Amino acid sequence: MSFSRRHLFTVALVGTAGLAAAARAASAGGLVLVMNSGEASLSVVDMRTHAELRRIPVLREPHHWALTPDGRGLLVGDTGGNELLDLDPGTFALRRRVPVADPYQLGFSPDGKVLTVSGNGRNQVDIYDAATLKLIKRFPLARTPSHLAYAPDGGRVFVTLQDNGRMAAIDLRALGVLWVEPIGRVPAGVLWLRGKLIVALMGDDGLAVVDPATGRVERRIRTGAGAHQVYPSPDRRVLWVNNRVAATTVALDATTLAEIRSYRVTGGPDDIAFAPDGTLWITQRFTRSLALMDPATGHIEEIAVGRQPHGIFMNPAADAATLSASN
Amino acid sequence: MQSLTLPFDLAAGWLQEHAILPALYALGLMNWEEVAFGWALFAVYGATQVALTYAICLPLELLWPVERWPDSRAVTVDIFYTLVSRVGLLPLVTFVLFYRAQVFLNGWITDQGWVPPTLERALPFLFGHPVPTFLLYVIILDFSEYWRHRLSHVFDWWYSLHALHHAQRQMTFWSDDRNHLLDDMIGFVWFMAVALLIGVPPMQFPLLVLLLRFVESLSHANARLRFGWLGERLLVSPRFHRAHHGLMAAGIASVNYGGVLPWWDILFRTADFGTIYVPTGDPSAEEALATGGYARQQMAGARRMVRALGAALPARTGRIAR
Repeated sequence: MSFSRRHLFTVALVGTAGLAAAARAASAGGLVLVMNSGEASLSVVDMRTHAELRRIPVLREPHHWALTPDGRGLLVGDTGGNELLDLDPGTFALRRRVPVADPYQLGFSPDGKVLTVSGNGRNQVDIYDAATLKLIKRFPLARTPSHLAYAPDGGRVFVTLQDNGRMAAIDLRALGVLWVEPIGRVPAGVLWLRGKLIVALMGDDGLAVVDPATGRVERRIRTGAGAHQVYPSPDRRVLWVNNRVAATTVALDATTLAEIRSYRVTGGPDDIAFAPDGTLWITQRFTRSLALMDPATGHIEEIAVGRQPHGIFMNPAADAATLSASN
Repeated sequence: MQSLTLPFDLAAGWLQEHAILPALYALGLMNWEEVAFGWALFAVYGATQVALTYAICLPLELLWPVERWPDSRAVTVDIFYTLVSRVGLLPLVTFVLFYRAQVFLNGWITDQGWVPPTLERALPFLFGHPVPTFLLYVIILDFSEYWRHRLSHVFDWWYSLHALHHAQRQMTFWSDDRNHLLDDMIGFVWFMAVALLIGVPPMQFPLLVLLLRFVESLSHANARLRFGWLGERLLVSPRFHRAHHGLMAAGIASVNYGGVLPWWDILFRTADFGTIYVPTGDPSAEEALATGGYARQQMAGARRMVRALGAALPARTGRIAR
């Protein structure tokens, strides 16, 4: 990337953050739900005061979440508890518990038809009917199926297989495995971006750009040692990559995949939620905390939550005053 | 509870971030990252257990010893057992095996349309109350351990392994973990079966586990320490457990099998609340079991078990022939 282009993106980041500061001042609230995988609880954090308002007990080991296609349900996977918790995304009140084996990563397809659940410990990928949550088909996929991404039409889902360095593509119409291909050491986060798959390689120092049709690795992008997760910014102009070993969060130009800026984020950066004010809320697995990072300045504020915080769900419209008293 | 566990979690996190992860990355072993963090937590809590036990039990042993020995070299091997068992690879292996067994079993149960067993599901009022939940888990597991321990004194082949634990004539707070590997494995399978049945959550209550392991170490201390009439009936004391290790109590005739709670000994009439501090050891154990190094003790235990099995087989065949 040329200096001017790099500069432009930096300005864009600063501008976004500036707008965000104004939004922050005007914000009435908003709530964040953090999945504390090491202590069987969910932390509820007030976005305005940054205070942890409540710790909701769950059965065993919550890791990740998925918002239902109609936006009315928030499914949190309790992996060790073998159940999905169906919560109200506004109040976090428990609506129902759904028995599901080993729900680790989960996500609804863009067409809203199916829910894919990775069974990380049981080497299985389950496809559920999104409306009824009935199991449609199970794919035994060794080893350690982890993160997942869909093609935009919802016809295929791609799942990283962490422990054998591969990724699997599943045809959701024909319900068959299209390919399982080697893509690099310990693949973790995966993202569909402009017709390609972007995969974070935790055993390596960056990303693999993969052809979704064949599973062939086309390029590698260096971001830092132990690349774990990759997220698009809400406007999809920037990619954010968390590097677990390098202890950095790196902003990439989503078009060129060139680095814009690298930020020091310690404590095992994992999942990210993007606040309307432009701050990144990053779970820190090793330090029982969230890192609130202002991308304009790189300033980080830490908020204490539970043990091994992993998934993070943000609802800027939720209000602390309506927080469920029933959980 | 949260603030109490924070320093441990932060220490484990620091270990993970600054030592373990870079090493795993350099060795191409990043797929062990989650497991390694589990070990970091075990190691930090285990090291704290050892330090806490040392800080409290050593003064007790110095101030009020039951016995004084001119040469305590036989204790050295017990220190090795303790470090391997509490900080080293053993807890990691058991954690991984237990965790994986739990994932597969409970996932399978869920697939059948049933609900995996947990105390919180059986007794919903426990949900969200970690301390009483943990205490109930402890009571059930301690009851199960009482019977495992008692049975290990009943069968000759099993006691042949367990004799390694009893052979120590210089019993100290380090002696809790001196066990034959096979005895440890049997103990692990036993524990795992019960823990799976009641849905024990691994590593959900690390601080409380630390305190329980402290009680078990303290019970082996070479210290004149009783908890009073009531206390002796609530928690296993050094005096209470010393009776179990007494010279006259080795093998089938032992008493006080409880690990943490003496309740089961009271219930099943194996309790001895006498006030005498007896000498410890097993007169039937060969010297290698008492004073040998780690490898010699393990070999001697295995040999004794094979002999016990060999002796049992003809006897059984004879009974069948009659």
